[in-house]
Amino acid sequence: MSFWVALAGGFAGTLVLTIILRTATELNLTRIDLPFLLGTALVENRSLAKALGYIAHFVLGLGFAAVYYLMFLALGRHDWWLGAFFGLAHGIFSGTVLINVALPLVHPRMGTPLSDATDTALLEPPGFLARNYGTQTAVVLLLAHVLYGTFIAGFLNLAR
Amino acid sequence: MRQDVTARRQDGYLALRSYAVIGDGRTVALVGDDGAVDWLAWPDLDSRSVFAALLDSEHGGRCSLCPADGFSTQRRYLPGTNVLETTFTTGTGVVRVLDALTLRGRGLGPSREFQRRVEAVSGEVRMIWEVRPRFGDGRRRTRISWRSGVPVATCGADALAVRLSHAGDPVVDAGAIRGSFEAVPGSPAVIALCASHQEPLVFPTVREMEARFAATIAGWEKWSSTLVYQGPWREAVERSALILKLLIYAPSGAVAAAATTSLPERIGGERNWDYRFCWIRDAAFTMAALLRLGRSPEATAYFWWLIHATQLTHPRVRPLYRLDGGTRTVETTLAMPGYRDSRPVRVGNAAAEQLQLDSYGELLATVWLFVRAGGHLDPELGRRVGEIADLIGRLWQQPDAGIWEVRSAPAHFTQSKMMCWVALDRAARLADEGLVPNRHQESWREQARACHDFIEEHCFSVGQDSYARSAGSEELDASVLLGLLSGYGETHSDRWRNTVKAVRRVLGRGPHLLRYTGDDGLSGTEGAFISCAFWMVEALARTGQVEEATVLMDELVGLANDVGVFAEEIDPETGAFLGNLPQGLSHLALISAATAIADERRR
Repeated sequence: MSFWVALAGGFAGTLVLTIILRTATELNLTRIDLPFLLGTALVENRSLAKALGYIAHFVLGLGFAAVYYLMFLALGRHDWWLGAFFGLAHGIFSGTVLINVALPLVHPRMGTPLSDATDTALLEPPGFLARNYGTQTAVVLLLAHVLYGTFIAGFLNLAR
Repeated sequence: MRQDVTARRQDGYLALRSYAVIGDGRTVALVGDDGAVDWLAWPDLDSRSVFAALLDSEHGGRCSLCPADGFSTQRRYLPGTNVLETTFTTGTGVVRVLDALTLRGRGLGPSREFQRRVEAVSGEVRMIWEVRPRFGDGRRRTRISWRSGVPVATCGADALAVRLSHAGDPVVDAGAIRGSFEAVPGSPAVIALCASHQEPLVFPTVREMEARFAATIAGWEKWSSTLVYQGPWREAVERSALILKLLIYAPSGAVAAAATTSLPERIGGERNWDYRFCWIRDAAFTMAALLRLGRSPEATAYFWWLIHATQLTHPRVRPLYRLDGGTRTVETTLAMPGYRDSRPVRVGNAAAEQLQLDSYGELLATVWLFVRAGGHLDPELGRRVGEIADLIGRLWQQPDAGIWEVRSAPAHFTQSKMMCWVALDRAARLADEGLVPNRHQESWREQARACHDFIEEHCFSVGQDSYARSAGSEELDASVLLGLLSGYGETHSDRWRNTVKAVRRVLGRGPHLLRYTGDDGLSGTEGAFISCAFWMVEALARTGQVEEATVLMDELVGLANDVGVFAEEIDPETGAFLGNLPQGLSHLALISAATAIADERRR
């Protein structure tokens, strides 16, 4: 099991995840835009934020691929369904904790349930399972993450 | 203004004019002039209520605080703040109560906190208080118990602790926490409601509460010191700005139309709506007011919210969105008697499903204002603006529900058509500046010309010598004034001058203005619409009748309640407030009218 293959799978998985989220946005299923959310944590300019956000998004995608690799290594197997399961768990964790709780806390331009009249939030908080960005966001988010995990496991299987 | 408030409640209800508002950027409470908090939705402005005596005086929940014996009151806001001061005068002494929903500041504090601070000014006054919470619009069971010596009301994931200082020993029963104490000079008392939602309660110390209250006053003073308006009616404009700030939902930047639901447009009538949503129709007014007052941070936040919220339905625009940007606004009714028997009590708003073409004009006018103020429109937003303009080019010929969201059959409302013209015009001008792709620019101009021709041929009533309510109609509608204010047609044209005259003649009731004549699909009548009267002021000013506008403005500003709050409507006969309050549109229209007169005087 190669670490570099896992990273390549992570890159491909992030690519697929990004395409799914973007397509869902174009289909008006959701308003979520992960690169935009990440980029606006760094700068206010929308165009620059998106550019930086895509870089951050892919870096995170590779980082999570490394975590997946360690978990596959610990379990001694990397079946596609195990990758899908990790992706599902990752998606649920993202929707309930990472995006819902952690991101608003560290994002300087995002509102939180504690924001008051002394704050002027530029971005609305995602809410539980990011439902503030559309009720179907959770479904899209989970599907994208399942495919992300499947791609990492799939790359490792292909390289076997 | 001193008021004798003894026995002023009628069947348990105060007049709507009696309410002052306080808030923290997340929610808003209504405080009556007898010291009772009759409305508070917690944790957020659009959450279910914990105090709703305003809609159900018996079972709705309330937080009361007043002298035990007869009293009169005098109220004001501490200058430049949203901290309310109520001074109670009794036969034995004078007491002042300061009410605020505190701003969180630094350190560990409750996620929401409502403080009531009591200070005796002279003599000794026996004060009585009661906290009777009813979570979930009074429909969920509220339990009251003790936690570490603190009385706490709980219900599911919500909890509310009552922290006290020199406010007597609390007595707890199944439904309320109450107490009494002697207010004497030099011994201030505090009654604080500390709330939590989906997290453990935080019990602050007296010193922490004091520090937070002081920081809240300082926070509001700092905010209002940044307002740049220096024109006439400065006090009313500043108060309107502070009230508008209360309606800005800080977690997202959205602006709620009002803080309440189902306050009736006619006592005992069915025109009772939930206004705790953000209406796109108010967007341009909001943007213009915030920019004019020098509050570009809120203007930018609002613009960002607007762009994100409308993305889900793009290129279509719904008339209203939830404050968190969501689109689910299902309308249901609550089993409450309503304010003075005005049923139904609604939560949610079915108008979200209507086609209201004016929303598109307001949205594109907002984009235009944002860009003119130096805002950045990136290529993706430019593309979206272009797609909205394409849609308007196809939609403008359709009938719609209009700005007033009539529940009768859709019609070709004049104001809707005028705002479609505004949408197409602004899109073409943005394309001129290279901010929107210009592929369809000629088509937008063509459609704008066709829309203009339709309005001039079909929407002008020769009989009334005025733009009519809708195509082919002889009815009048004050909303057509928005066409004038938005830049449709020549401001000094005979048609506009005569329309202003006709609208005032037909719809005017003294300084007040009714919304329209004709059917709207609902039974009963309603009061005069406050924002329409301010639009009339602005229309008079814009058509060169500044002196007349000034006289009318003086009259209208005087119609606010004792602390400068406006509701949605006013009864022309009695001066009683009607409809939801505080009404953002009324205060926005006041700001807009004042600035319009200031502009015209400078010319």
